[in-house]
Amino acid sequence: MDGPDIGWYLIVAAMLFGIGALGVMLRRSPLIVLLSLEIMLNASNLTLIAFARQRGDLTGQVFALAVMAVAAAEVAIGLGLIVAMARRRLVLDVDQASALRG
Amino acid sequence: MVVGAWICLLAPLAGALGITLAGQRISRRTAGWISTLSTLVAFGGALVALFGLWAADPSDREQVSTAYTWLAAGDFEVEVQILLDTLSSTMMLVVSGVGGLIVWYSMGYMAGDDEERRYFAYMSLFVFSMLLLVEAGNFLLLLVGWGLVGLASYLLIGFWHHRPEAVAAAKKAFVMNAIGDATFALACVLLIWETGTLEFSGVFVGVDSLSSTPVNLVALGLLGGAIAKSAQIPLHTWLPDAMEGPTPVSALIHAATMVTAGVYLLVRAHPIFEAAPDIQHLAAILGAATLLVAGAIALVQWDIKRVIAYSTMSQIGYMFLAAGIGAYGYAIFHLMTHAFFKALLFMSAGLVIHHLGGEQDIRRMGGLKDVMPRTHVAFLVGILALVGIPPFAGFWSKDGIIASALATGGALGYTLYVAALVGALFTGAYAFRLYYTVFRGSQSKYAAEHAHEGHGEGPRSMLVPVGILTVLSTIGGLVVIPGVWHPLTEWIGETAEALVDPTVAEDYETSALAVALGLVGLFLARRAFQAGRQLVTSPVIWRVLEHKLYFDELYDALFYRPAVAVSAALRRNVEEPVIERSLDEIGSGTIQVGGEVARVQSGLLRTYAVAIALAVCVLVVVFVAVR
Amino acid sequence: MGNFLVWVVWFLAAGGCLATGVAVVNVTNPFFAALALIGNLASLAVLYLLLAAEFLAAAQVLVYAGAVMVMFLFVVAYLGGRADAPWAGGPPLLRTAAVVAAAALLVEVVVVLGLAWGDNLQDPAQVSDSFGSPAEIGELFLTDHLLAFEITSIALLVAAVGGVVLGTTPEKEDE
Repeated sequence: MDGPDIGWYLIVAAMLFGIGALGVMLRRSPLIVLLSLEIMLNASNLTLIAFARQRGDLTGQVFALAVMAVAAAEVAIGLGLIVAMARRRLVLDVDQASALRG
Repeated sequence: MVVGAWICLLAPLAGALGITLAGQRISRRTAGWISTLSTLVAFGGALVALFGLWAADPSDREQVSTAYTWLAAGDFEVEVQILLDTLSSTMMLVVSGVGGLIVWYSMGYMAGDDEERRYFAYMSLFVFSMLLLVEAGNFLLLLVGWGLVGLASYLLIGFWHHRPEAVAAAKKAFVMNAIGDATFALACVLLIWETGTLEFSGVFVGVDSLSSTPVNLVALGLLGGAIAKSAQIPLHTWLPDAMEGPTPVSALIHAATMVTAGVYLLVRAHPIFEAAPDIQHLAAILGAATLLVAGAIALVQWDIKRVIAYSTMSQIGYMFLAAGIGAYGYAIFHLMTHAFFKALLFMSAGLVIHHLGGEQDIRRMGGLKDVMPRTHVAFLVGILALVGIPPFAGFWSKDGIIASALATGGALGYTLYVAALVGALFTGAYAFRLYYTVFRGSQSKYAAEHAHEGHGEGPRSMLVPVGILTVLSTIGGLVVIPGVWHPLTEWIGETAEALVDPTVAEDYETSALAVALGLVGLFLARRAFQAGRQLVTSPVIWRVLEHKLYFDELYDALFYRPAVAVSAALRRNVEEPVIERSLDEIGSGTIQVGGEVARVQSGLLRTYAVAIALAVCVLVVVFVAVR
Repeated sequence: MGNFLVWVVWFLAAGGCLATGVAVVNVTNPFFAALALIGNLASLAVLYLLLAAEFLAAAQVLVYAGAVMVMFLFVVAYLGGRADAPWAGGPPLLRTAAVVAAAALLVEVVVVLGLAWGDNLQDPAQVSDSFGSPAEIGELFLTDHLLAFEITSIALLVAAVGGVVLGTTPEKEDE
């Protein structure tokens, strides 16, 4: 195969995953949290596709496609939630959304 | 002949089950007939068994018949087996015969009671239990019968359960019997431990090779059971209270059969007692003590049934004395004659009570000789048999016991001899005191007012059994005439060979003394009666005797009060603070812990996310390391 | 020469991924964050192409960048100024823990990769030209991975329903 070994792709994916995790844990705006979540999902997609190429098995790509579909669904719902929050004039701050406290 | 024994055992059980299952569908009279007939069938079976045994070769007179193996644990096995030998066949006859007569009598006595069916079911249950006890071929089955008769006794004493005195008396009887049951069971455990079996044949062979401590403990345990069941000192206080039950119950259970189970046990387990002579002599001493104490207390009792109850206690003391010195044949002989005349006395007393509409206080009786002539004759025969006037039944058996004491000799023998003779004096005194107070003299006002008019002395179902027992009390003792013939003592001797055998001279010498003392008692009683006073004049002695030597008070202080105090203290200091509180604590503690744990659920998204991330970090390390 | 070109493209795409990723996490304005994410998705599509996943690269651009991100932008536009919330906030402990966790994850992955580099990650398989083509993936979806296909469609249906439910007008009381 031309270009870098599979391992480099995996390292890129790991760094992306870490960046996305930082975003989820450190930002307070739910929109940004969702975006960071998307970054994490894409990182795992990259990993899947890299391994698919490495093993010559298309299952990884099929899995990645399914992940994409599910991520789309999840974003739709998440955005719906945010819109609903905004409609009720709540502050868009995850630290304030603690109604599920035990 | 073994078939006869099985029929004897199972017929009353069938009767009891039949009455129970039929419930309200049969009339009360039918229940009575079922019970009576089943007991008579049992008697027939016992006769068949007896004749079969008699016709058989003397070496063949020990038949064991096994139904099935009840339980097996390793090498140890217990089977449902009956033992038919001379001893058990005699007991079977006495139990089913006298039992049958008493059940028949109850048909008249209990007529009109609302719960007659329950009564007859219990009576059949009792007869079955007693037969199981005497026919058992191993100690465990005997213990089963032992416990069942205790149960039947409890049920029947407390039969009129709306009377608190009856309920209390039933409980008292059961609890005291339970003490005996416990010692008996412990003895059985020890037997299993030492000999590995509970079958009579196995135990009696094995007991010879045991050292003295286990044998003594076993014998002591069996003796404990016997003294509880037979109401000997110190476990005797339940018997007078048991008179709360109906009179036929008193006749059957507390005179003729159940209380004699202790004597049966002493005779049946005689090899064990012979290997533990100290305990055997202890039995004799307790018997002698009981016969004196009970005889004395009977002198101050006012309730007709209680006098007869103390008389029972006293006579069983004689039987214990006999078994304790090894005069097994005479012990069983006296058991048989005692069954006849004691049942007779109770049943005649029942006729009197019935006639007077339930009155039992002898101060309210008197002059019934003319009003109830047949009852009078029956009662007199019973009294004469009790005191031991020849030719009535008690004479032959009781004097055989006293003569055996003389023949034993030694310090023990002579002491028992003297005690037995003094007992004969007491017997004459209290027996004739009772007779004169109830039947002679002028009719009391009460008797005249409350007499049951127009029925004669009682229905046929009550009079015929009384008549039969009167005849038996007269001639029943003639099966052993010293110097002439001893078929009964020889018969028993085949199973339990007597350790002492009085000579003919000793027999006649004793008889003369005993009869003389009995007659002295009679004269003392008569003189006191004619002078209108009691035999016991000292008020101090009267009070002590009236309180039954303060045994009840002693047991109350020694056992009951401390037990109640301990229970209350435990409840206050352990149950409430520890157990109840701990349950509450568990509940509130769980809620508290849950509250603490719930604080993790902060509701903050970011905290959750960080937690998940950290967890994933740890898990990655784990997975990599494990692989 | 071809190899050199591949390396250059790879570096550009990887750099673009990481840069846009950092941008998403760091900018204050959500609109710019969404735009950065679109850039991220495009860079990833390039990487997919390098990995012989043509169909997936196309799907990424069409679906993810084309539909999902547009939806995002719609919402950002709808929310307008109200979506702003300061960057910093929350207890310091939380922030430290977050950084530690992310760093630890990264380090662990690198370590594992390092350990496995020599054995499992050598010799990528030889693949045919149709590897990653729509035909092959479609065939797999309808044969080996039919269940995943169906369940994914159910998930999408659920999301659609959920979206409708969430979008219903609130009651008149707090209008």
